[in-house]
Amino acid sequence: MDTVSPLERVLRGLAITVVILFFMFPIVWIFLMSFQTNETILRVPPSVVFEPTLTNYTALITGKLETAAGTLEIAFMRNLWNSLFLSTASVAVGLLLGVPAAYAFGRLKFRGSEDIAFTLLSFRFAPPLLVLLPLTIYFQKIGLADTYVGLIWVYQLIVLPLILWIVRGYFEDIPADIEYAYRIAGHSWFSTFRKIALPLAGPGIAAAGLLAFIFAWNNFIFALVLASADKQPVTVGALAFVTASGIQYGQVAAGIVLSIAPTFALALYAQRYLVEGLSLGAVKG
Amino acid sequence: MSLKLTDIVKRFKTETVLDGVSLSVGRGETLVLFGPSGAGKTVLLRLIAGVVDPDGGTIEIEGRDMDGVEPEDRGIGMAFQNFALFPHMDAMANIASPLTARRTGREAIAETVGKVARMLKIDHVLHHKPKELSNGQKQRTALARALAGAPQILLLDDPLRNVDAKLRFEMRLELPRLLRSQDATVIYVTQDYKEAMALGDRIAVMNGHGIQQIGTPEDIYLRPANIEIARLFGDPVINLLDVVPEAADGSGGVQVRLSDQPVALVGGYAGTVGTDCVLGLRPEAMRFVDPGTPGAIPVEVEAETPLNEKTVTLTLTQRGREIMVSRPSGMPGPDQGTAYVAVDAKDALLFDRATGQRIAPGAHSPALQEDVA
Amino acid sequence: MTDIMLNIENVDKFYGPVGVGVHAVKGIDMQVARGEIIALLGSSGCGKTSTLRMVAGFEAVSRGRIHLAGREVHMLPPVKRNVAMAFEGYSLYPTVTVRDNIAFALKAARLPQSEVESRVRDVAQMLEITDILDRFPTSVSGGQQQRASLARALIRDADLHLLDEPMGQLEPQLRTLLRGRIKHFIKERGLTAILVTHDQTEANALADRIAVMEDGVLQQYASPAEIKERPANLFTGTFVGEPPMNVFPASASVSAGEILLNLAGGLVLRYPEAEFAPEVRQSILSRGDVVIGVRPYAVHRGEGGAEAQVVANQWLGDQTHIAAAFAESTVVLVEHDRARLSEGDRIRIALKPDDLHVFDPDSGMAISHGRGLA
Repeated sequence: MDTVSPLERVLRGLAITVVILFFMFPIVWIFLMSFQTNETILRVPPSVVFEPTLTNYTALITGKLETAAGTLEIAFMRNLWNSLFLSTASVAVGLLLGVPAAYAFGRLKFRGSEDIAFTLLSFRFAPPLLVLLPLTIYFQKIGLADTYVGLIWVYQLIVLPLILWIVRGYFEDIPADIEYAYRIAGHSWFSTFRKIALPLAGPGIAAAGLLAFIFAWNNFIFALVLASADKQPVTVGALAFVTASGIQYGQVAAGIVLSIAPTFALALYAQRYLVEGLSLGAVKG
Repeated sequence: MSLKLTDIVKRFKTETVLDGVSLSVGRGETLVLFGPSGAGKTVLLRLIAGVVDPDGGTIEIEGRDMDGVEPEDRGIGMAFQNFALFPHMDAMANIASPLTARRTGREAIAETVGKVARMLKIDHVLHHKPKELSNGQKQRTALARALAGAPQILLLDDPLRNVDAKLRFEMRLELPRLLRSQDATVIYVTQDYKEAMALGDRIAVMNGHGIQQIGTPEDIYLRPANIEIARLFGDPVINLLDVVPEAADGSGGVQVRLSDQPVALVGGYAGTVGTDCVLGLRPEAMRFVDPGTPGAIPVEVEAETPLNEKTVTLTLTQRGREIMVSRPSGMPGPDQGTAYVAVDAKDALLFDRATGQRIAPGAHSPALQEDVA
Repeated sequence: MTDIMLNIENVDKFYGPVGVGVHAVKGIDMQVARGEIIALLGSSGCGKTSTLRMVAGFEAVSRGRIHLAGREVHMLPPVKRNVAMAFEGYSLYPTVTVRDNIAFALKAARLPQSEVESRVRDVAQMLEITDILDRFPTSVSGGQQQRASLARALIRDADLHLLDEPMGQLEPQLRTLLRGRIKHFIKERGLTAILVTHDQTEANALADRIAVMEDGVLQQYASPAEIKERPANLFTGTFVGEPPMNVFPASASVSAGEILLNLAGGLVLRYPEAEFAPEVRQSILSRGDVVIGVRPYAVHRGEGGAEAQVVANQWLGDQTHIAAAFAESTVVLVEHDRARLSEGDRIRIALKPDDLHVFDPDSGMAISHGRGLA
């Protein structure tokens, strides 16, 4: 129906506002907190009126955390860099391995392909802790514990199934005839993969990469167990704010703002791809 | 023979789609693969193209066994029913794709593409992406892409299926000349019997896992191998009536009864007397006549449906059997109620009711055939 | 005027905001008499389905009014309009059998069991779905589902039956037979029906009147014969009719008691002045440039006439389609016997004044048909 009564319009607006408030409130609250000192945050009753301060951010950036019990060294910027490096490298490796594999699973229905694909997906079902314990021991034995390579390897458990399953769907969505047409025109299968399949699955690959990046960025448990201080990402590094003299809410908030900023920016930038990518069937002649 | 298939078998899981298909097509010939959906026409094309492998049998192109030969090495051009254009490339790049594969020079590509595009009247849209093309232009681009590489074998998978009626008609008239100019072996798949008859030098009728009849359009239309094929060709569909031929009084000929009126069968059907048969009468082989005309069959007029160049009347015989009669438009039709129909007995077809096979006149009575001769 | 069942008054349909969105249906005016079968004919996107959905009540009317059986219905929800509809996508209830699908509305109306049964039997027999009545919709073929959906609509006692592409999925052999039966069924019961189709053969075969639509505009609303003989404009003329009407631009002049039609390539058709009615003659000559159209089955081979060279000769069993190069274009002929002609043969083409349709080249509107003004 294209005619909407004024009352309906008002109610609709109201409903949308409520939803937005519900989802945005924590982020806004955190954002506000990051400009306050611990005292103003813990003030009773709480107030939205306060004098903004940048001390939380300066503490994070300089790496010197002022607490009631004195100055504490933290490595937040290092953590941020670790997060960026680990996530990017994991996604890069994941795409390199996952996209050709997804093509194989999508196109060449070989014996057992369904089973293998499902096994890969099932990595996502098991509680990470179940895998972690034996993994830690192995890694210590072969010297991969507390190395970037080891972490990137373990991150494939998160990244690879995601990329594989999303991208596979995209490859399957490309009408097989389009690829046949290219081959019949005289091109090899590899050239067909490069010139037809890859570009047509492009939005899907971008979306899968983006999602995988966010998942990798948000990972906590693998890095907590397998990485020492100098290789920890922000998710683990934020634990440092739980100090002997209490939780540093201001710095935690600032840390959160800084750590969600990159994924947030990325998601905003790639929103179009994500929506386009997640609603399949983007390839139509 | 330019293309030769021998005993091709293809199964999907447990279902047999093609069961022993053999076929040979000469250079410059257009063979139409015709049949209802699910008859395996498209699968057969894909086997020839090499994108699907047969479970048995051999495919030879210009005398060379194609077993293990990749699609890109078979010298084939193919147009798909759904066009299968590369959506991220413009029409030019689409058409040029068979040429880029051979590392043809840029100028030679431009020249060849230009020539093919002019022939198909799409030279003004070469820089458009497929989504900016109209359906007709897409179809022509797909055709141009199939032709651009000057293939020995041209496979056309129902290329006119997805274009509107007017364009389909124009292309139907245009295609034979276009195909002849290619000097290629053409396999053309269609579900439209008119397209099959208009385009095919020969038609292979596929039904139930294989080819049931191969012949010229004339063979297929006038001498269909069985009831199914007779039903597939002709619009409106051929009238099929259960009959038991009987000996005609005195003359020694054979007759059947419609609305209790005897209709003499021309030719030697003597051996069919007393057997269960099906009489096939094309709607255009009957005409309305004045009451009292000798041999006229009384029928009830049910509905008149004007088609384009003809009018079809649905009638009921006195025993309640439906018969469709068609006449060129412009000719006066019957009034409501009872009308009288005359049958051109020489156009009647007779089928064995048990097997569905056509009974060729004279097959049962060599003696009578001599008489006719 | 006869008893009006449906009156569509100046109806518009906009999708999206005015000015930016799509103006899908533009000021359609049409009446349907009780007991009439109407076909809405047009290519995809012409507005025919939008029109049907507005009549059914699935789409709001942006402007205008719709009266059905004397009631104003365009503000009513579908259920209150008393229309029965067969959907293109079938929309059968998957959880009940085909029989219950068909009988659904009758049972809801609390008809006696025996009557429901006999009506289901009749309609199922007519559409040849008796053998699948006790199966579930998902277990039968698309063509059978379509017939079940058609049966469900036709069985109802509604003021209006709306059929959206009712035979699109049927195999051609069955289609020709069912056309005759459905027409008989509708006429026998005195139902009023509107069918939407892109297939002109279906429209011609079933409908008493055809509404030809293009670009949201009702191009012509008339009987099949009228549309064939007196197309209102160039669009209807070339859209309806298979093979399509031959059209050639021409410029008309008069010389020594003859009307000359100058076609492309220096081809001149000459007619004695007397073969055109005075008002037609005047109307054509006053315009000078015109477009002439002639139906393929009205083009005759014979002595005299203009020369043309055969480019295609296609025998289709009961008719022959011949294309010949003519006036820098192609002329198409339909003959009912098999023509013994091969490519390159020269034939002579005669176009009789009685068979000429003349159109205005700018507006596309018809000027004259044969001897009479449009």
